[in-house]
Amino acid sequence: MMAGRLTADMGRSVLNTLLLTLAIAGASPSHALGHKRTDKSKAVRQDVVVAKDTDGVAEARLIEVYRLIGQAQNREALAKADRLVEDFPHFQLAQLVHGDLLTAQTRAIKTFGDVPDTVARSASAALAELREESQRRVRALRERPAPGTLPSQFLALSQKSKHAIAVDASRSRLYLFENSPAGLNLVADYYISVGKAGTAKIAEGDQRTPLGVYYITSNLDPKSLKDFYGSGALPISYPNILDSKRGKTGSGIWLHGTPPNQFSRPPQATDGCVVLANPDLQHIIRTVEVRTTPVVIASQLQWVAPQKTRAESKPFEDALHGWRNAKTSGNLQQVLTYYTPDFNSNGKTLMQWTPTLKTELDQAQGRTIQLKDVSYLRWTDAADTMVVTFGEVADGTRVGWTKRQYWIRQENQWKIFFEGVI
Amino acid sequence: MTHSRLPVLGPLRLLTLAAALMFSLAHADEYADVSQLVRTGKLPEALTKADQYLASKPRDPQMRFLKGVIQRDSGKTTDAIATFTRLTEDFPELPEPYNNLAVLYAGQSQFDKARTALEMAIRTNPSYATAHENLGDVYAKLASQAYNKALQLDASNSGVPPKLALIRELFSPAGAKNQRPSPVPTAPSVAPAPTPVATKPAPTLPGPVVSKAPPAPTIAAPAAVQTPATPPAHAAPTAAVSSPAASATPAAAAAPSSSNASKDAEAAVLAWAKAWAARDVKAYLASYGKDFSPPGSMSRSAWEDERRQRITSKSKISVKLENLAVTASGNTAVAKFRQDYKANGLAVSSRKTLDLVKNGERWQIVKESTGT
Repeated sequence: MMAGRLTADMGRSVLNTLLLTLAIAGASPSHALGHKRTDKSKAVRQDVVVAKDTDGVAEARLIEVYRLIGQAQNREALAKADRLVEDFPHFQLAQLVHGDLLTAQTRAIKTFGDVPDTVARSASAALAELREESQRRVRALRERPAPGTLPSQFLALSQKSKHAIAVDASRSRLYLFENSPAGLNLVADYYISVGKAGTAKIAEGDQRTPLGVYYITSNLDPKSLKDFYGSGALPISYPNILDSKRGKTGSGIWLHGTPPNQFSRPPQATDGCVVLANPDLQHIIRTVEVRTTPVVIASQLQWVAPQKTRAESKPFEDALHGWRNAKTSGNLQQVLTYYTPDFNSNGKTLMQWTPTLKTELDQAQGRTIQLKDVSYLRWTDAADTMVVTFGEVADGTRVGWTKRQYWIRQENQWKIFFEGVI
Repeated sequence: MTHSRLPVLGPLRLLTLAAALMFSLAHADEYADVSQLVRTGKLPEALTKADQYLASKPRDPQMRFLKGVIQRDSGKTTDAIATFTRLTEDFPELPEPYNNLAVLYAGQSQFDKARTALEMAIRTNPSYATAHENLGDVYAKLASQAYNKALQLDASNSGVPPKLALIRELFSPAGAKNQRPSPVPTAPSVAPAPTPVATKPAPTLPGPVVSKAPPAPTIAAPAAVQTPATPPAHAAPTAAVSSPAASATPAAAAAPSSSNASKDAEAAVLAWAKAWAARDVKAYLASYGKDFSPPGSMSRSAWEDERRQRITSKSKISVKLENLAVTASGNTAVAKFRQDYKANGLAVSSRKTLDLVKNGERWQIVKESTGT
């Protein structure tokens, strides 16, 4: 290289073009963060955050570097990348971009992650993974959910659930919602990794992340965990009732963090868990509640307007009210029409479970059954199902049960294939 | 300033050789003596002599610089780092101490520190070729480290550390005037205060800056400074000069000076480039005056043999001069330009300074330096 031509601008156009090709240039961080924090208490997030233990910051700073590259401001991009890797030395994607920006000081950049050929050959898998991670992060930030839309699974969420989580595996993204009386509100979203073999877990050891509607079941003490799990772990309820009915096996599916030497992991890297960067996971752990926080994991989320989902859920609501009315009437035979023949409640067949149902009817003694805090989340794959949670209380009584039911739509009739007290 | 012949990473590093070395008469001998001792490997003697000098002139930047080089050559890295660090503190406008600090840091694999030092050197003097080239190597090294971290590769894959070019002698303040607006404060025989225009480094910058501001007036002051006797300097030829090839088309940018002396000197420079490109060794060597000092301890005849061999061994040489600026005063002239050299597939662009002296009617080169 020659002294006079050795400028920060060198290679800029190529790198710029390259990143544009990767559809990175348009990923403006303001846009990226625009949906992340709408509540006032966390509005500080919109500012330039320097603390390194804050969720989402590393990615926002990476995207800012991308944006500067997109604007052909390589010098500023390098300065910001310098600080980014200083604060997050194990953020491999940031290191890759930093390497490119340093390289661009001396020669033109030919490709994103323009490592020497020998390295490109010996570490081709790792390089491909980082490029994929970059694209997924950028895509998730460029293609935002339309304002006011929610994942189609969230039909109704009672105030018993203060938060909800939805994971879009295709985007390597976890969306965190706050549930207010006005409805669900997207407050943050994070890059995540799923199973090495992708999603749709079927069997133990298949290295896939399950798809379905789950709940956080516990919050594991980080001190009890190996370094590998990072800053904590939130196990979820895999296998759920539908999974078990389908004979799926395996266990120990957690949301957890990353080991000390890895800020984030490739898009497909886990044994089936959903893995987040430690600051992001910590924010989730501090925010969400055990048992009442649903976790929907989809291969690809559909974002729809709540009024549309309300209209679509009318047939189900009618069925649920029909079941309640039947129960209020005390007519066992009428109630039983709401259950599928293959109903199963924790091992009991419908016949074995019918006495339990009869006991409940007897206890109600014709009093009106009230359903309180009703939540229902729809899960549609080969089957169309509904995961329903509510408090069941007969008028004049002080206490009832918190129940969970799984409904399935069969020949346009919604029927219950599981019912249990939780 | 001469350039060390350290092993270097790529062929281009050899290009950054000497720039002007202009000792004031009063002290030139002592600097030269110490330099000579260093060159002949008598480091303890050199250190003693440097310390003796510094006992009476503790702030003297040139001798402190030499001392740093001696310490470095003696393997006293920590001492050398301390010496150059203090020089950067006392004379933040000098790029050379930063450059050498970077060399020492790089030798310790402290590439972040090396980078910071080199960026400071370039901030101090944006057209400082050695620092640019060293920085290029440091950037490449840092990029390699970043890639290894990105891909979680073993650090042992990262190869050998780059060997950066050490600056062995510091510009004298007078010589530095063309490069730097503020002369070294304690330096002897400080030249007249630079004109306001001269506070801009424009004349030494390539391309755009020069084209905006006609350099002639800017250069006037420093040129005057350079008039007094320039002792035979340790000019070192550049690698471009020493390993060239093929046929040439000198294309000179307009020389800004209006004086006849400048025009004559400029013509001599163009003739030199043309002879070189034409592989006319006789005319090429005749461009150099009898006072021309070959690099290192090379004799004139040995240098001529080397030049002849290198020039005639190429099938085709191209030498283009850009942004040529010649300033003359009396019988001396300084020509600064960017030299684009191509030969046998090697293409090298570097900044060059030629000092010329008028002998009778002929302008001849007495000093050739690369870099700023």
